[in-house]
Amino acid sequence: MRTDPNIADPDAFYEAWVAAHEGLSDAESAELDARLVLLLANQLGDPQLLLDCIAAARRAAD
Amino acid sequence: MAAAEVWKFAPAYELPTWPHVRAPDLDARERIRYPVVIAGGGLSGLTLACDLLLRGVEVVVLDEDDTVGVRGASSRGICYAQKSLEIFARLGVYEQIRAKGITWSVGRTFSGADEVYSFDLEDDSRSEQPPFINLQQFYLEWFLVDRIRALDKRAIRWKTKVVRVEHASDGAVVHVETPAGAYALGADWLVDATGANSRIRDALGLEAHASRHTDRWCISDVRFKKPLPVERWTWIDAPFNAGRGVWQHLMADAVWRLDYQMDEHADPESISQPEVAGARLREQLGPDVEFEFVWIGPYQYRDHLLDTFRVGRTIFVGDAAHVVCPFGARGGNNGIQDAGNLGWKLALVVQGRAGEALVDSYHAERHAAAVENLKVTSRTARFLAPRTAAEHRLRRAVVALARTHPFARKLANTGRMAQANDYPPSRWAPAGARSLQNVALGTTTVMQLLADGTRFLGLWIGGGDDDSASLGDVARRLPFTAHAVAADSPLAVHLAAARGSLVLVRPDAYVAATIATPTPDRVEAALRRALALDADAR
Repeated sequence: MRTDPNIADPDAFYEAWVAAHEGLSDAESAELDARLVLLLANQLGDPQLLLDCIAAARRAAD
Repeated sequence: MAAAEVWKFAPAYELPTWPHVRAPDLDARERIRYPVVIAGGGLSGLTLACDLLLRGVEVVVLDEDDTVGVRGASSRGICYAQKSLEIFARLGVYEQIRAKGITWSVGRTFSGADEVYSFDLEDDSRSEQPPFINLQQFYLEWFLVDRIRALDKRAIRWKTKVVRVEHASDGAVVHVETPAGAYALGADWLVDATGANSRIRDALGLEAHASRHTDRWCISDVRFKKPLPVERWTWIDAPFNAGRGVWQHLMADAVWRLDYQMDEHADPESISQPEVAGARLREQLGPDVEFEFVWIGPYQYRDHLLDTFRVGRTIFVGDAAHVVCPFGARGGNNGIQDAGNLGWKLALVVQGRAGEALVDSYHAERHAAAVENLKVTSRTARFLAPRTAAEHRLRRAVVALARTHPFARKLANTGRMAQANDYPPSRWAPAGARSLQNVALGTTTVMQLLADGTRFLGLWIGGGDDDSASLGDVARRLPFTAHAVAADSPLAVHLAAARGSLVLVRPDAYVAATIATPTPDRVEAALRRALALDADAR
């Protein structure tokens, strides 16, 4: 799992991410992010990598 | 319950005033016409006036007041970026700024008690000037006024209020009121440096695309004895400020600027009461730190951007042209850099050594810079003030992952510090133009070389005396001088230019072109293009 900076223009990505949520209810926003996770997961593909990412996301909440 | 704390206030800053002097125009039989009239004596107006005087251009600055800073306000801008400091080095005020101000390069951003990310701007610096110096804006204006007065005692006209402007294709007539009476003065070029609320701009009916933000902040400028690092510290969500943002920065005279993000619906009157502001400080500094207030000021911010920075013979600089969100020191520094971009162009045009179209390149380059700065600062503003629960959630995700994962630190955004903007390709600089730092060159520096007249520098990488001599004819015809630079010197490394090439540096220390195999014809063609003297530009 990569954790070093790999997003080419982080501020532009964040801006676009926030903009995608504009005008949605809170529930709709959560669902948008769930769809986004699936789309990004399909870009990665590798099962071990996906499990590592899921574990890292979970760890940050614990 | 402890007895109510008594809040101490420091005595107000003592600012100089300058006398109004009766203008010669009042006693002249015919209206006097000046090559350049600058309305407004703030950062950009004063920088431009100083720049033009040093280039031998007669200039008049019209200022409504008789002092520096804004009455009733302790300070506006505080952070001066490297490119601004390099300009001030060329203008001869840098040493005063360095001696009075606070030099820094490290910034740290916190969430709660944890550091989220940090930067050290020294890492990318090759300049004789540091990445940043903090200084109350009025000190900087004061140093500029002293410098301008040393060059031309009558250049600044105090207590002179612009009431009306008549615009024409060959200049403007500026009507003013003064304590000695009203008069009008002619200007071949009028520069509007009157700030965000410019009436000159509004009278022309120009659309400024203004928008107002709801984010609300309250500054406390304070003096205290607690030793803190001389670094830029920002909290995304400070536990001592109800989970909202806080900025902590040192200025001259041992005054700290503590800037607190407030509830956007808070009443500005009540959040700036000394007892309310004092309670915030107590929370941050702890119970035993003695402090005194220098100034308390609540604010909201807005932005605007003019479509064109030139209308005929009237040119807009600084806040009159553009206002961005107040993050990353991209306001005042860009007013200063507007002046640095415009000064040499206006001087060469006024002196008949460049084509008038060169003034259009001021708009092309500085408007592009303002667009970039507006984009960058708006992104910071959005990160700092999430508008919905969902936006808060996205930000919390960034901060949570940033604690362990470096990639997420790049997404946290408490301001991207001002840099010298790159300029896009244009007919004056087909490959675009990028800033050159003030690198040392033997016993001199880039800025010292540029301070001598208004000339382009041809830096011949690995060149010898014969090479420079071959460009003697070009140097006689055009504002240009060639300078050999050792191929292994720090300057050549900074330029990343190949041995044998010639780097053409403009008077504002931007690289206009790199000529791989220089010949006198090629150098002259590049210069003519950069000076709007080529056939295309006419």
